[in-house]
Amino acid sequence: MAKRIAIVEDEAAIRENYAAAFSREGYVVDGYEARRPALDAFESRLPDLVVIDINLKDDVEGGFELCRELRARAADLPIIFLTARDSEFDAVSGLRLGADDYLTKDISLPHLMARVAALFRRLDAMQKPHGTESRITRGDLSIDTERMTIHWQDQPVGLTLTEFWLVHALARYPGHVKNRQQLMDAAQAVLDDNTITSHVKRIRRKFHAIDERFDSIETVYGMGYRWISH
Amino acid sequence: MNLRRQLLLVSLLTLMLPWAGCEFIRETEIALRDGQRQMLADTARAVAGSMVQHSEEFPVSDGSFGAGDQLYVHRLEARPKIDGYFDDWTLPSASLRSMRGTDGPIHFAVASFSQATYLYIEVTDRNVVYATPQSLLIDGASRFADRVTLASSSPPYLKEAISFVAEAPGKIISYKQSVYGFEPEPTISAFWQDIPGGYRVEARIPSGQLGTHLGLSVQNTGNALEPGTRSSSFTGRAPGPAMSKIQELDRIAGLYVQSDTRLIITDTQGWRIGAADELVAGRGAQSGAGLAMRIYDLLLERGKEAAFAEPDPSGREQQPYVSAALEGRETGAWFRSVDTGTAIVAVAAPVTVGDKVIGAVVLQRGTDAILSLRNEGLSRLINVTLITTLVVAGALLGYATWLSRRIRALSIAAEDALETENLASALPSALAEDEIGDLSRSFSWVLQQLGEYNEYLRSLASKLSHELRTPLAIVTSSLENLEHEELNEASLGYTARAREGADRLRRILSAMSEASRVEELMQHAEPERFDLQAVLDSTTKAYRDVYKDRTFEFTSSVASAQASGSPELLIQMLDKLVDNAVDFSEDGDTITLALQEEDNALLIAVTNPGPRLPERMRSQLFDSMVSMRSSNDSRHLGLGLYVARLIAEGHGGHISADNVEGGVCFTVSIPSGCNPGATKR
Repeated sequence: MAKRIAIVEDEAAIRENYAAAFSREGYVVDGYEARRPALDAFESRLPDLVVIDINLKDDVEGGFELCRELRARAADLPIIFLTARDSEFDAVSGLRLGADDYLTKDISLPHLMARVAALFRRLDAMQKPHGTESRITRGDLSIDTERMTIHWQDQPVGLTLTEFWLVHALARYPGHVKNRQQLMDAAQAVLDDNTITSHVKRIRRKFHAIDERFDSIETVYGMGYRWISH
Repeated sequence: MNLRRQLLLVSLLTLMLPWAGCEFIRETEIALRDGQRQMLADTARAVAGSMVQHSEEFPVSDGSFGAGDQLYVHRLEARPKIDGYFDDWTLPSASLRSMRGTDGPIHFAVASFSQATYLYIEVTDRNVVYATPQSLLIDGASRFADRVTLASSSPPYLKEAISFVAEAPGKIISYKQSVYGFEPEPTISAFWQDIPGGYRVEARIPSGQLGTHLGLSVQNTGNALEPGTRSSSFTGRAPGPAMSKIQELDRIAGLYVQSDTRLIITDTQGWRIGAADELVAGRGAQSGAGLAMRIYDLLLERGKEAAFAEPDPSGREQQPYVSAALEGRETGAWFRSVDTGTAIVAVAAPVTVGDKVIGAVVLQRGTDAILSLRNEGLSRLINVTLITTLVVAGALLGYATWLSRRIRALSIAAEDALETENLASALPSALAEDEIGDLSRSFSWVLQQLGEYNEYLRSLASKLSHELRTPLAIVTSSLENLEHEELNEASLGYTARAREGADRLRRILSAMSEASRVEELMQHAEPERFDLQAVLDSTTKAYRDVYKDRTFEFTSSVASAQASGSPELLIQMLDKLVDNAVDFSEDGDTITLALQEEDNALLIAVTNPGPRLPERMRSQLFDSMVSMRSSNDSRHLGLGLYVARLIAEGHGGHISADNVEGGVCFTVSIPSGCNPGATKR
């Protein structure tokens, strides 16, 4: 059965364009231009994935509000913010509200498709039993590439998709310096230096929450980052 | 000229006060003096009128003699000794009359005392020729001697001459020439005295021996064989009438004279024929002395020197006002002595019989009383106005100082606000209700506007990029969708080009929002301690990889440099500086990174060879949207150095650019171990 994607976006042109791209990939797409109609529609039936713009017409923070309400209704529903707002603060707020990814409108359609596909993949993998063949282990770190989850000292680390790909790219070849461009490619996103930096910071913080002595991601100043296995 | 000097200059206007006071006093004084002169003139006219009764006492001039042909017989107070010296004559030496002699000036005086007439003469003679028995008498002599002759006559009858010659210096015998010839006159005593360059003769002649007309002549010869030349006190053959005070007129003058006045009666030639002197001289000296006196004299109208008011020692009054009176006009004059303070008002009135002027009455009065009044007033006035001037000048100076301090404080505060970009800060005098307060408020307003404008400029880039992002997304997503449609060759080319353009636009937008993202990052960054030395070292290596056609050098004068902040951001800043350095240098050039520690600050310098910075750009170089690159370089929006500055300032430091030998050096100074959170904007 085809996956159903809801796009909540006030800009009709973008909405149509995204809808066309998703349809081409075989998804069923519902477009909404505001929070109210979207919520009304979700009342009868929840989509499989929701793409939300933060700024919805006159509702400046409507996207956040919508995310909060959806998350309250369905804890596992994948939610992606796709917005023109590129500030760090907005990204942090969005992810904290439980969104699975925060993308700016710079992202290209193929990248967006890849993201959405990956999200679905992870969702599907969650329902499957554990397989060991898709597992990468580096000391205390274990990566399940199928489910796109990461464990540190056997505790799950709640990473977003982008963060997962960054860690995955670093840990696959420990000791190798990955420069920013390489990391960007791995994350299938157009990110600038600062975004990479803050992503890495956020990743480190998440690991620190589990293990205070975590220091496996090393900054190589002027070049990039590398994973150090202990 | 600053405000203080200007106001000081203005305060000089208060000097008008003493000037005006002086003017007033001068006017008053002139009025007083005029009054006094008027009174004096009335008196003089009255005296002159009463002189008509005594007109017969006035000498009658037939007009055949000029004043130069006449001698004045002074009156002596004491009997002089006949010894050839003038110093026992009670006359000032100015009384000596002079005439031209062959070898030099001849000085002489004639005076009377008791019943005798005295003669004193001083002759310049290079070669005194004494008389021999042959030359003693002038009659029939073939030999000559130096000789002084007193001609005496009472026309038309008497005509005589008394001759003084010397066989040797000392007492000499005088000879009288009359119609009977020369004979010694024993009643005349005379003394001949040689002096260097001439001789002197003093003689006493009983008044009875002399006529009414007197004249003096000197015969000067070089040797005994020549008659020599003759100098004479009169021009014609006969002398004019001798003048002297006339006893009756003198007595009358004594009757008319009042206290502190002087009365002089002259004949038509100005000869003093009567005088009475009650003037008290030099009384003004008490009213002011020294410097004060000099100041007053500078300020006040000068009169003629007081000495000119004195009776003329020659016996003939020759002051213009007297001459004018003798021509029939009543005239006044004003005399003042700077040294003694003596001031004299004088009036001369003609004495007329019918319409003929027979003489003049000169009346003088001391005006010391007015002077002293004036000086007292003046000194009080000067003191008061001087104090006023000083007080006003002092007050103005203080006021100007206060004013200029306020203005300066305002200007300094405004400059500070501009410099630190703390444009919302309160300026001094903002609450004052005067014009400076207005100025301060307008300044504040202007600064605020400027701040808002700066803020607008600063946020413009990020706002613009934000606003453009959505339409750009429409364009890119449409293009991406289009690629999935069936397109012919040409359309594919167009879409590819459109994609390229959109891509470039995206990069520009992301550069535009970089500054605001950096600012944001800075606010949320948690400072970490790191070794700047190691960071720079590693970064330099990275630059060598990235820019293969430049040489990078890293020099450090410190072993390790502990800094606190965000190494990533500092690297980003370095990236901007290095990017800049690469753009402005040529292939193969060496770009130098240097690290040193100075006064608790770490200095990072990036130096590149290349064109110098234009001086006018240097202050704006680090502002938003300012670029010194050529305008066709669309890659740069003038945000790189602005971002570098944001990062440097976010670390509590600052950034500057300088021209150095052959290139440009950007220097970032950050405090060692600083905390970026402490300097949030």
